[in-house]
Order: sequence, then C-alpha cells, then structure tokens
Amino acid sequence: MPTPEQLAIDRRAPLRVSVWQVRWRRFTDFTRRYARNRMAVIGLLIVLTWVVVGLFAPWIAPYGYDKTNYNAANQPPSFAHPLGTDALGRDQFSRMIWAARTALIVAPTATVVGVVLGVFFGLLAGYFGGWIDEIVMRLSDVLFAFPGLLFALLLAATLQPRLAAWLSQFERIKPWVRAGYVEFFVVVIALSLVGWPGLARLVRGQVLSLREQQFVEAARALGVSPWRIMWQHIFPNALPPVIVALSMSMGSAVVAEASLSFLGIGITPPTPSWGAMIYNEFASWRSPSAPWLLWAPGLAVAALTFAFNFIGDGLNEALNPQDRLT
Amino acid sequence: MGRLLEVKNLETRFHTQDGTVHAVNGVSFYVDEGETLGVVGESGSGKSVTMLSVMRLIPQPPGEITNGEVWFEGRDLLKIDKEEMREVRGNRIAMIFQDPMTSLNPVLTIERQITEVLELHLGMNHQQARARAIELLKMVGIPAAEERIDSYPHQFSGGMRQRVMIAMGLACHPRLLIADEPTTALDVTIQAQIVELVKRLRDEIGMSVIWITHDLALLAGLADRIIVMYAGQIVESSPVHELYKNPRHPYTIGLLQSIPRLDEKQRERLQAIEGLPPDLIDYPTGCPFAPRCRFAIEKCWEVDPPLEEVSKGHYSACWVKPEGAEIMHQWHASNTEESQ
Repeated sequence: MPTPEQLAIDRRAPLRVSVWQVRWRRFTDFTRRYARNRMAVIGLLIVLTWVVVGLFAPWIAPYGYDKTNYNAANQPPSFAHPLGTDALGRDQFSRMIWAARTALIVAPTATVVGVVLGVFFGLLAGYFGGWIDEIVMRLSDVLFAFPGLLFALLLAATLQPRLAAWLSQFERIKPWVRAGYVEFFVVVIALSLVGWPGLARLVRGQVLSLREQQFVEAARALGVSPWRIMWQHIFPNALPPVIVALSMSMGSAVVAEASLSFLGIGITPPTPSWGAMIYNEFASWRSPSAPWLLWAPGLAVAALTFAFNFIGDGLNEALNPQDRLT
Repeated sequence: MGRLLEVKNLETRFHTQDGTVHAVNGVSFYVDEGETLGVVGESGSGKSVTMLSVMRLIPQPPGEITNGEVWFEGRDLLKIDKEEMREVRGNRIAMIFQDPMTSLNPVLTIERQITEVLELHLGMNHQQARARAIELLKMVGIPAAEERIDSYPHQFSGGMRQRVMIAMGLACHPRLLIADEPTTALDVTIQAQIVELVKRLRDEIGMSVIWITHDLALLAGLADRIIVMYAGQIVESSPVHELYKNPRHPYTIGLLQSIPRLDEKQRERLQAIEGLPPDLIDYPTGCPFAPRCRFAIEKCWEVDPPLEEVSKGHYSACWVKPEGAEIMHQWHASNTEESQ
C-alpha cells in the first residue's frame, strides 16, 4: 500500500539508476546479439577494411591514381605493379585502392539520401493517407515505370553536363567541377531518386498495418500528437525492414555506381572507379590478355556488396526485440 | 459531489460503403466526482464508440460525431480545438483498453512509454519522469520496478501489462479514467486483481471511473451506478443495487437472467435473449429491442420510448416497464418446478 507521499508527484525525485548505465547495457546487449551472427561480423570487417583502405589511400597506394608512365604500359603483374599497368602505364593496384573511396562515398550517400526520402514520404503517405498518399504513391508509380538503372542513366546523362556547365560559371566552384565532384553529386542524385520509391512503398505498407494497432490508439488516448506518434511509435516498429532494405540497397548502390561508370555515364577517368576500370580493360585490345584487370575490380564490387548484405542480416537479428532472450 | 462529466444527446455515425451506421443515438449521461459508472451492453451496442466519442478518438472519416455536447471541467470537449483536446487526453481523462497485449508498443521499453506521458503533460525532464515512472509501477504492484522498467512489453504477462497500462493512464492523476473492458482478455483471478487495483487507486487518487464491460456480475462490487446500452441507446440507468434488485427494462431483465448463478439450488438452463441486435445501418423505427422483447405491445413498434424515471434515480426506456423483480422471481419459481 503506497503512502500519500509516494502518490504525490515529486518533481525533484532522486534518480536511482543512471540513464547512461541503461544505455550502455542496451548497447552491449546489441553488440552481443550482433556478434552471434558470424557472417555479419565478417561483413562488417570487410566494409571496415575497405573504409580504412579508402581513408588512407594516399599512404597505402604505391602510386597516384592518375600517375601515367608510358615506359611501363600494359605490364603484367610484377613486384613493382602487383596488378600490372594499363595502356597509359597507370598502376592498377593503386587505382583499385583509390577507387574504394569512390565506392564508399557514392554508395552510402546515395542510399542514405534515398532511404531518408523513402522513409519520410512513406510515413507521411501511410499515416495521413488521403491526398498526401495519392500524390506520393502516384509519383513513385511514375518512377517505378522506368527500369531503375535506365532512369539513373538518363538522369545522370542529362543532368551532368548541364550542371557542370552551370557551375563552371562560378569562379570559386570551377576547380571543383574540374576535379570531377559534379559527377559524384549527379550519381548520388540519380541513384537516390531511383531508390526512394521502393522504400516509400515498403514503409507505407508497414505504416498502414501499424496505424491500426491498438497501441497507436492508446497513444492517441494519452494525448500524443500525430507527428510524435508517427516518429516515436510507428517508425521504430517499421524499422527492421527498413534496416534490411538499407543494407541491401547499399550493396546494390555499389553495383549501380559501378554499372553507371562501366557505361561511361557515372564517374569518368581519371577519377578511379571499379566500374570504369572494368570498362577500361574491357574496351581496349591487349595481348597477352590480362584477365586480372577485370577480376580484381569485379571481386572488389562483389565483396563489398556481399558485406553490406551480411551486415543487414546481422542488424536485423540484433535489432528485432522479439528475438531478445534477456 | 460535483458533476465531472456530462454528455448530452450524443450522436455518432459511421459513413460506410453499405450506408450510414447509427452507432450512437442520442446518448445522455453524467458522471459525478469520485463516482464509478458501469456501462453494460452486448458487443456492438455502442459502449466503446460512446466513450471514444467523448475522447474524440473516433477516426474521421469514416466516423462523425453528428450531434451532442460533452461537458467536462466547464468546457464542451466537442468544441475545443485539437491541441486543447490533446491536453485533456492522458492528462485529465485517461483511457485503458481491452487488450493489454496489443495496447503497448512492442518496440519501446516500458520506461519510454510511461515517461512520454509525464514529459508531455507535466513537463518533467527525463530523470524526474523516470523516477516517477518507477513509483507508478510500484503503485500498481509491479515487483522489482527499478529493474522491470527497462523491459519490453513482451517480457511481461497479460496481467502485468494491464497494470502497466493503468500506470500510464494514472501517470498524470486524471480526474476520470475510462476503462474499456480492461479485464476481458485476462483470466479470472487476474481480473479480480485488476478490479481491486482500480478500486484502490480510485479511492486514493479520488478520481471517477467509467467501466465498460459486458459482464454485469463484475460491476456489482465496483460501480455506483450502471447504464445499460442497447443499439446505441441507453435503455436503463440505475443505482447499482436497484438495478440488480428490480430491473425495469426487458433487456436488462434478459441480461440478468442469462448470468449463471452459483446460489441456485437446482441445475437449470440459462435463459438466453432470443434473436440478434438490430441492423444499425437500417435503424428501426420504434423501440430497437421490440423484435426480441417478450413484453412488446403495438406501441413499441411505432414509437421509440424515451428514458423515464421509474423510481428515484432509476430510469428506463420502455413503454411497458415490467417489474423485473417479480418476473425473475416467477421465472425462477417455474423453472424450479419444471426440473423437480
């Protein structure tokens, strides 16, 4: 039986367990559950390796990515050039390393932008319904009507020269345009615009079933605002599939960036990209043939894609509270 | 005792593809301070929709409150704007729901869900809210509240979850608690515990309670007054003991006869009310209970009877107003004879 003092609202009540203690415990719980999935740990290691390689490229790579040496063109692998050189005498091993930067800038940025857009519009459409839903869904239908890569290709091809020309008129920005940053920007825009409708649909579907749940009604009965219900109550429930989709689209964004570059639309030389490297070796005749010049970037793309997917699986298991055995 | 809540002539409709559903049809009732009002009726009788209308939680569309006033603390809740209404919900009027398994958000900790209300309505910071949440959990009888507070709902049993729901409802010391069949999904022993808990907290905090149920027996020890609903109308309203002693509406009589009783000596068949409730889309003229009524006279089919006082504080909407006590006595007598 509580005393009246216990029942009274004491705004200065002492805290018994620190909030940070709880958060730390929750974090260690999470890492333990994640570590149970061995492939997820391997995936994380692969991604981290590439991140380190990309970050420290200037120190790791034996040559610059645009360093040409006509005296050493079309060389087979050797100690000086572990993956040989291309027709311009650029060290392929160094270019592989530099290209990790490109992949790890473009793919996560494009995915995150796409996911943020998708989650935002999906939540709005699903929760409020009505005309908001109509607009968002018809828009995504239009985007869905094009094959993803084709649409990204169209966007990148039409956007890139115009944007570059427009930005070149500003003296300050001109060197950035020259250095190829516009290409990154355009590829990110193209990939995220292609990516968001799928996510918006996924989120909307989740929200449609979640908003009818009794806990949403209970939250409304407690006076919680619609905006807060949407983000605090519905969004966390829709999160597991979003996280899986996030990691999957990370993987496919790596592939998409490579594809665009392979088709000569995305990142163009001298900026190194695995896709562009494959194209380069693919397009030029050479004897004796040099299959490692295709395999190496191809394997890099594959490894990164798989790694992201494994991470997705691991996160899904670790974040799903139903599986917690505590 | 002052009036806390007064509902006048409430009407709620749902516009569906098949037509307009007349869910609540001119319902008027009141709740005094500190009083417990029981609301009884079968499924689809409009009990829940009435209370959701009071809270303005009817989804619009398809629902619409077409008429009525809801007076609470000097304001008509149907007239104030959305933000003001949000301040009332959870803060002045709290509501707990039927199924504790689905009323809690599965991915948020208990702590997050209780502190949210406190931060929202009382402007507490997180630490204060957490400390208060632990007190609340202790108050509703959760053992080891300091540790349990960081659990997720699925780590609680049904009864414990309903206690958590009650703790959330009572977090801001509301004046009125609306309990929408809070024990229906629980087993009988837990049911009794929850009823006892609400009674205790009601007396300690001094709030009023509206308890919706289809279980008349449960209300005997809990409510001060009972209203009986049928087809979106109130058909009888009475102080609790008067209702059990002398029910005056044929529907209430039927309900009371359909409760199995342990104190009967002879084994006898339970009396069910024949037929089904009326179609609320094609709402009947006349008394909605007439097609199922043993006492119906011609007038019942033509004019819907108003709620009239039959004795002090006891109202019944019936042209015939049979003496329920007498009928039940006779009926039991005849049954006992038959079985002998």
